[in-house]
Amino acid sequence: MLTSLMSRLTPRAKTPVQVAMLSAVWLGASVLSRLFLPAVPAGVLGMFLVLAALWSGWLPLDWCRDGARWLLAEMLLFFIPAVVAIVRFPELVESAGLRIFLVIVVSTALVMAVTSLVVDRCYRFELMMKRRIRRGLKHA
Amino acid sequence: MHELLSLVCFIVTVACYWGVKRVYLRTRKWWCTPIFAVPLLLIAAVVLVGIPYPTYFADTRWLSWLLGPATVAFAIPIYEHRQLIARHWLSLCCGVVVGMPVAVISSVMMARWLNLPELLQKSLAPRSISTPFAIATANSIGASSDLTAVFVVITGVCGMLMGEAMLAWLPVRSRLAKGALFGAAAHGAGTAKAQQIGAEEGVVASLVMMMGGVATVFAAPLIGWFV
Repeated sequence: MLTSLMSRLTPRAKTPVQVAMLSAVWLGASVLSRLFLPAVPAGVLGMFLVLAALWSGWLPLDWCRDGARWLLAEMLLFFIPAVVAIVRFPELVESAGLRIFLVIVVSTALVMAVTSLVVDRCYRFELMMKRRIRRGLKHA
Repeated sequence: MHELLSLVCFIVTVACYWGVKRVYLRTRKWWCTPIFAVPLLLIAAVVLVGIPYPTYFADTRWLSWLLGPATVAFAIPIYEHRQLIARHWLSLCCGVVVGMPVAVISSVMMARWLNLPELLQKSLAPRSISTPFAIATANSIGASSDLTAVFVVITGVCGMLMGEAMLAWLPVRSRLAKGALFGAAAHGAGTAKAQQIGAEEGVVASLVMMMGGVATVFAAPLIGWFV
């Protein structure tokens, strides 16, 4: 019954319905997290629940793809109110703004350099192992 | 009166985001990316008009609320790219395992070295991961989630602007490494930039961003002990 309901929705209606569904999952996950798993944030718990439902085939991808795509595409909008909160700390910007900026720029450069160099090495290692396995199979 | 002002704030926020996004899609100039221009315009407006933050936040909090469902929505791209994860899990995991500690430790050490107060050290620690994860981490290590949200956005804009220069300078060639650079250092904003360089770079960036976010949230007790 649910399947036919979901397929009858027009593409325009699909996104809000699926956003509402993902919001319901989040609400459910926040209740679960508050009652049983205070260490796991509700969003992360909800993500694992949806992932498990997708993997087991219980939730068809079509039922949540459009809603998820919209939520992720417009995510910048959702944290704008939190950024405007900087108006609550004018003294901080004046007294420490430059130092904070320095921390962010230097640390970002460091993360970029280390991560990309390590991943590049790992990738070459992966290729080498694959080649070796293939060669081993040929000789056997 | 305050209710009306709150509603106006909500409408202006959404309209400003929508307008700036359209301008950005047409011009592709870095200074009109929504992540940079919209907060700047709104902060200027709030300060100039003299709107108290609680009034601004009364209705716009529903936008912040949607960050929860957005975190849940990350399950879908992870599921869609499960084959890429299966093929390159080792490289992706190495990127996360190395990148996240470097981000947290370098931020905290530099903040200490520059004599920033403890609350700022804590709030800077989760700045390189996606906002919903960063806020979750900030709450559990006793940082200010408002400050963390601001630092996350500044990180995203810096990462977007610095990424290409870093790539020109670093001796890395694989798409995997290029994507990981953006995903680990500059979360969603970096992922958008990586997407412009190439589809595979974009997928890798989003995977590293998500894995890094989840890993940092779970490592929060460890971070709390460190800062």
